[in-house]
Amino acid sequence: MHRRSFIQGIAAASFLTATPWARAFQSDQRMALSVEQLPSLTGELTLYLGRGEGGLYEKVLDAIRDRNPDLDLRVRRGATAALANTLVAEARAGVRRADLFWAVDSGAIGLVTANGLAKSLPPELTSQLKAGFQYPQWAPVTGRIRTLPYNPQRIAASAIPDSIMALADSQLSIGWAPAYASFQSFVTAMRLLNGEQQTADWLSAMKARSTSYAGELGVVMAVERGEVDLGLANHYYSLRLKAGKPQANIELAFTKNDAGCLVNASGIVCLSENSTAVNFIRYLLTQEVQSYLASEAYEIPLVNGVSMPAGLPGLSSMSPPKLDLTQLADLRPTLDMMRDVGVL
Amino acid sequence: MKTIPLSYLPSALIAALAIGPIIVLAVLASESAQVFDPHNIRVMINTLTLMSLTALGATLIGVPLALFTAYVETPLRKTWLVLLTAPLAMPSYIGAFTLYAAFGPGGEIDNALGLSLPAVRGMPGAVMVMTLYTYPFVLLTTRSALRSLDASQVNAARTLGMSLPGCLFSVVLPRVTRGIAAGALLAALYALSDFGTPAIMQVDTFTRVIYVEYNAFGLSQAAMLSLQLLCIVALLVFIESRVTGTKEMPGRPLRLWPGRWQRAVMVSAFLPVLILAIMLPLSVFSLWLWREGSGNFELQYAFNSAYASLLAAAVAVLLAIPVAHAAIRSKSGRVMERITYLGFGVPGIVMGTALVYVGLQLPWLYQTLGLLVIAYVLRFLPLAVGAVRTASERLDPSLVSAARLLGARPAETFRRITLPLTVRGIVAGAALVFLEAMRELPATLMLGPTGFETLATYLWRVYEAGYFGHAAIPGLLLILMSVLILMLMLSGERRAEIELSDP
Repeated sequence: MHRRSFIQGIAAASFLTATPWARAFQSDQRMALSVEQLPSLTGELTLYLGRGEGGLYEKVLDAIRDRNPDLDLRVRRGATAALANTLVAEARAGVRRADLFWAVDSGAIGLVTANGLAKSLPPELTSQLKAGFQYPQWAPVTGRIRTLPYNPQRIAASAIPDSIMALADSQLSIGWAPAYASFQSFVTAMRLLNGEQQTADWLSAMKARSTSYAGELGVVMAVERGEVDLGLANHYYSLRLKAGKPQANIELAFTKNDAGCLVNASGIVCLSENSTAVNFIRYLLTQEVQSYLASEAYEIPLVNGVSMPAGLPGLSSMSPPKLDLTQLADLRPTLDMMRDVGVL
Repeated sequence: MKTIPLSYLPSALIAALAIGPIIVLAVLASESAQVFDPHNIRVMINTLTLMSLTALGATLIGVPLALFTAYVETPLRKTWLVLLTAPLAMPSYIGAFTLYAAFGPGGEIDNALGLSLPAVRGMPGAVMVMTLYTYPFVLLTTRSALRSLDASQVNAARTLGMSLPGCLFSVVLPRVTRGIAAGALLAALYALSDFGTPAIMQVDTFTRVIYVEYNAFGLSQAAMLSLQLLCIVALLVFIESRVTGTKEMPGRPLRLWPGRWQRAVMVSAFLPVLILAIMLPLSVFSLWLWREGSGNFELQYAFNSAYASLLAAAVAVLLAIPVAHAAIRSKSGRVMERITYLGFGVPGIVMGTALVYVGLQLPWLYQTLGLLVIAYVLRFLPLAVGAVRTASERLDPSLVSAARLLGARPAETFRRITLPLTVRGIVAGAALVFLEAMRELPATLMLGPTGFETLATYLWRVYEAGYFGHAAIPGLLLILMSVLILMLMLSGERRAEIELSDP
């Protein structure tokens, strides 16, 4: 039933987008295409999908299937790292089963591209993405921003510093998830932006006031329950928690132009010379799919002309640091540092 | 002249197959891993604590329940047994997460009833959850040993004036130590290799270090750490093999007829276990279901789960019979049997990746249901072997000799003597493999056919995304299907028992 309404939504969306389209032609920036403008997909396609996302990605895939009855799309799900390792194992054995790999974080993409498995994407495809998210060998699909979820019952917004480095000198109690991949990417970003020494000092100063949780959903739930004042987490956990429980005691704060507001991305890699696979990526970058993922999964759209998820300010009012996301795959020194400081 | 028993060839083959993933791990670890990290010592102490306390807890709950389900005559006996083993089908991370969410200030119990209970977390929380989801190992292995004990010794002791509890403690339990040890070993290995529960309870264990490495794309390091974990596994497996048992003639098992109030006391004593292990997770999910609405669940997932798990149970039991047989016959057979245990102590995701490398050696099998079943069998073979071995090593070989002397062929002897006398062990082994396969996740994701969705993979999907309400229906189905299929298996056991008592 849900599926139906989304598919009808895809049809309706092409009418609703009339206004942004008019504006799109006035600027030279490339706007998101509509599914109406894309060629239909045919033949077999195997996708390795590195994330769970109960149902939402499923609906996107089902909608693409329904629009393209001649497409035989097969999906293998798994933890992102496990699928990346599987792809490497398959390549070593000379077996290729996947045409596409849709990964939850850019680190996995880094592993796959470093092993030479990714095929180059056509420039007119990558140029649909926002500046800073255009890569020759992979396409970011949606973004997530690092946030500081806080409990408004316990602290006021004004008590939160707007610099992540200054957070170490505050008196707030903090929840974090050092074993979680997104947190490690964030520390890697801090290493790249602020250097090894400052990052190590920051970690050890934070350690004294931090409680560790298994994942960032746990962090957000702990903030909401009032176990800690403030947490470090990807934005969508708070927005999803609020969607299920509107009166939840949780608000979002952002730092300015540092690793604390890093925008990381999920992304997709093409693994075979297959025009259907490339066109499949184009479907993920359409107005309809991007706005669906923004409104339902609270993820940040990365093509122009799609509005941000409810509850998040516009990407223009945020000031994420400029970083090549594939550099975040360099996790080894981050893990060593976190172990030495004793937070992992 | 001594001839090599028939069972050696298949068991040597199976042991070779079981060691395959371990060789893959060694190759991966040799690529670029750091051998020793002093940070891991602290973590190792946590791991050993969790492991020992879990084995202890599982024994303390599992043995009384085994006595209850083996000997006490009560209405719905089989139903109780099936319900009490059902926690084995529930992924322990689901249990850990719901207990975490239900207890403590601000938890769901506090919200719903205004009853502020202490939070479940840390080492005590992890031990509690692990115990709740591993005691059925002890229950099943001990029960099958208890059922094959002859009651006449107990009757003699009772006639001589020993009290019933005294009898159970000093006449019955010493004769089933092997069964208890087999179950406790499985519980310990499970605690050693599980990742989700300690992570949710915020206990820093060795598996967490392995997962962090794995997720940071340090596969080589994760493999090296898994090999280190294997040293503990090997030690445990060795210790368990030193536990000795007794050989005796099979006979009619003990039967106890409690009074109504005695029955009420027993049921109320073990009800908390069922409430915590099954009712609470399902109620918390139902609450979230009511709050958030259900997802796009398909019944096909339940069918896939049951189908693959049943196949795995059947194949595992078939392979377990020669391995258990060889283990009883000689020392080298014992070594082959012990080798099959190693894989059970390796964290699932690392084992899954090793199995991907093994599976890729057979490209025509790669990503088929056949390979998934092989993976389940390789992971869970020790469950079947342990249960079959404990049941059959109590079998007096003179019975087989007598049958042969009276002119029965080996096949007939097996069908009419060995099989009926070991069928309880076979059923217990099949049930264990079935339940573990129902909740298995990493190998299912990595090795199943593309697009093959089971209850466990669906639960994982919705859990990962934080849509907990969607977990209610598959969680309930996981329990329901397990209960139904266990009922079927146990009715097979009952038929075999009738055959045994009718001349």
